[in-house]
Amino acid sequence: MNIQDLLSASRVKLNLESNTKGDVINELIDILYEDGKLSDKDRYREAVLRREEEFSTGIGMGIAIPHAKDISVKEAALTFGISKTGIDYKALDGTSAHLFFLIAVPDNSNDVHLKLLSYISRKLMHQEVRDRLMSAKTYDDVLAAFKD
Amino acid sequence: MKLLAITSCPTGIAHTYMAAEALQLAAKAMGFEMKVETRGSVGVENELTLEDIKEANAIIIAADTNVDRERFQGLTIIDASVQEAIKDAKGLIEKAANSKKNTGSVYTEQPNKPTRTGPYKHLMNGVSHIIPLVAAGGLIIALSFVFGIEAFKEKGTLAAALMNIGGGAALALMVPILSGFIAYSIADRPGLVPGLVGGMLASQIGAGFLGGIISGFCAGYIALWIKNNVKLPKSLDGLKPVLIIPFFSTLIIGLLMVYVIGTPVKALMDFMTEALKGMSSVNAGFLGLILGAMMAFDMGGPINKVAYTFGVGLLASNVFEPMAAIMAAGMTPPLGLALATFIAKKKFTPEEQESGKVASIMGISFITEGAIPFAAADPVRVIPSLMVGSAIAGALSMVFNCALRAPHGGIFVLFIPNAVSNVGMYVVAIAAGTIVTAIMLSILKKDLTSDRTANM
Repeated sequence: MNIQDLLSASRVKLNLESNTKGDVINELIDILYEDGKLSDKDRYREAVLRREEEFSTGIGMGIAIPHAKDISVKEAALTFGISKTGIDYKALDGTSAHLFFLIAVPDNSNDVHLKLLSYISRKLMHQEVRDRLMSAKTYDDVLAAFKD
Repeated sequence: MKLLAITSCPTGIAHTYMAAEALQLAAKAMGFEMKVETRGSVGVENELTLEDIKEANAIIIAADTNVDRERFQGLTIIDASVQEAIKDAKGLIEKAANSKKNTGSVYTEQPNKPTRTGPYKHLMNGVSHIIPLVAAGGLIIALSFVFGIEAFKEKGTLAAALMNIGGGAALALMVPILSGFIAYSIADRPGLVPGLVGGMLASQIGAGFLGGIISGFCAGYIALWIKNNVKLPKSLDGLKPVLIIPFFSTLIIGLLMVYVIGTPVKALMDFMTEALKGMSSVNAGFLGLILGAMMAFDMGGPINKVAYTFGVGLLASNVFEPMAAIMAAGMTPPLGLALATFIAKKKFTPEEQESGKVASIMGISFITEGAIPFAAADPVRVIPSLMVGSAIAGALSMVFNCALRAPHGGIFVLFIPNAVSNVGMYVVAIAAGTIVTAIMLSILKKDLTSDRTANM
């Protein structure tokens, strides 16, 4: 198990088109669904939105991590997108979000996936990782950002 | 100076780890050493030890879930949400770095409760899960006796239903649950299935709760070993938690229980049954002593069962005295514990003190299992205490020539005409056994403060 498996090239979009929080969530979920990782798109979207209602997953520093753990997810998967313009994601620090990680975890995920997600989450706290993601031009750039 | 933190969020997938990393990065930048325990969906990682807690002055709890604070008595606790830790790790660390040890009255008056570690922690995880089960099951059986001690034998009656709920289901689950949650504590989720199955087998082969403790530990370590040491090709990795670990660990623990534990248990039971038969002719008081000690040794396990079966068998030959000794000895363990939780409060946790009340009802109903949660938590001190008290109750009952014509019923039998002969002295025997048990417990058991094995 490595990052490529969790975050495949087909689920990385370097130029997100949406301009609002609602739209960007839909845009990311569409990518995830088309890649065959969801059994029930609407159900998953509801789970993600429910999570957002608790408190925004816009954690500041230009990052948002909408996520849900739900039975509508077939297999743990990440979807990554970059918005060049930035989107108001009601972030904690009030800044707009540029980097979006949609995290989908099935109800009975195994530890390997969860460990990898925790690894990626930790990496995002590093300034240099965020900088490299922001300037990523290709899928390989994205992967390289997570590897030292 | 060492800084500590715990991070935990409800989903436990991302925020927990982001907060942990944010804190560690900020601490590093500020020149502090920091240890962060994460509680996410993978479970507890990088757990804070007693040593860590001793060294630190303060702890940052950045959590949106409930975190048990008891083990941090003596530290200043800085509460925050996970978002705050992500957003302002530096601010939290400054607060923590500037705080002193919390030496308020809470710390000095209440003992600093040691953390459960190692095998003891696993054992207690099993015990804490069976306490409510035993209470519920035992009380429901006692309820069935209210309709008369033989009432449950009539099929289709409420009494029969109560007996089935309490004895046939709730208490029957006790050993599997004990074993299952010991194993769960050792190996996390992969331990549960082999633990439950091993416990079920311990129950079936008549190995009782001691067998359940053995199966729980074996199953847990087997599952843990498979989890850590069996490497599979990536394509099969997903099968590991759902098929590979459960299948092999259950198979191994199952075979172990049936052949390695089951065979000697059966041999032991056969041997003791023969030995008891040979003893029937010796001094009555001595027989009562032995039967009593056997009843209390494993409470529903093989030794107890041999004694009980022996007594029931004699009823058919119109010999009623050993049955009386056996029931008296089976009542004193929960009764003695109940009394001990009352007279020696310092030696029992609040949870145990509450269980003591329930144990007294089980004691008067001759549901010896009421003592099991106490015995399992501290077997080395509790079991000998119970045995001494039960042996005395059994011996006195024999010496007083008490006789009992029913194999169960507890205090409820006493009200049935002619069921017990020499009722007055029978009550004396039970009371004496109860008091001796309680005194033994208050001598042998240590105060909660000085000894961790007395802790729940």
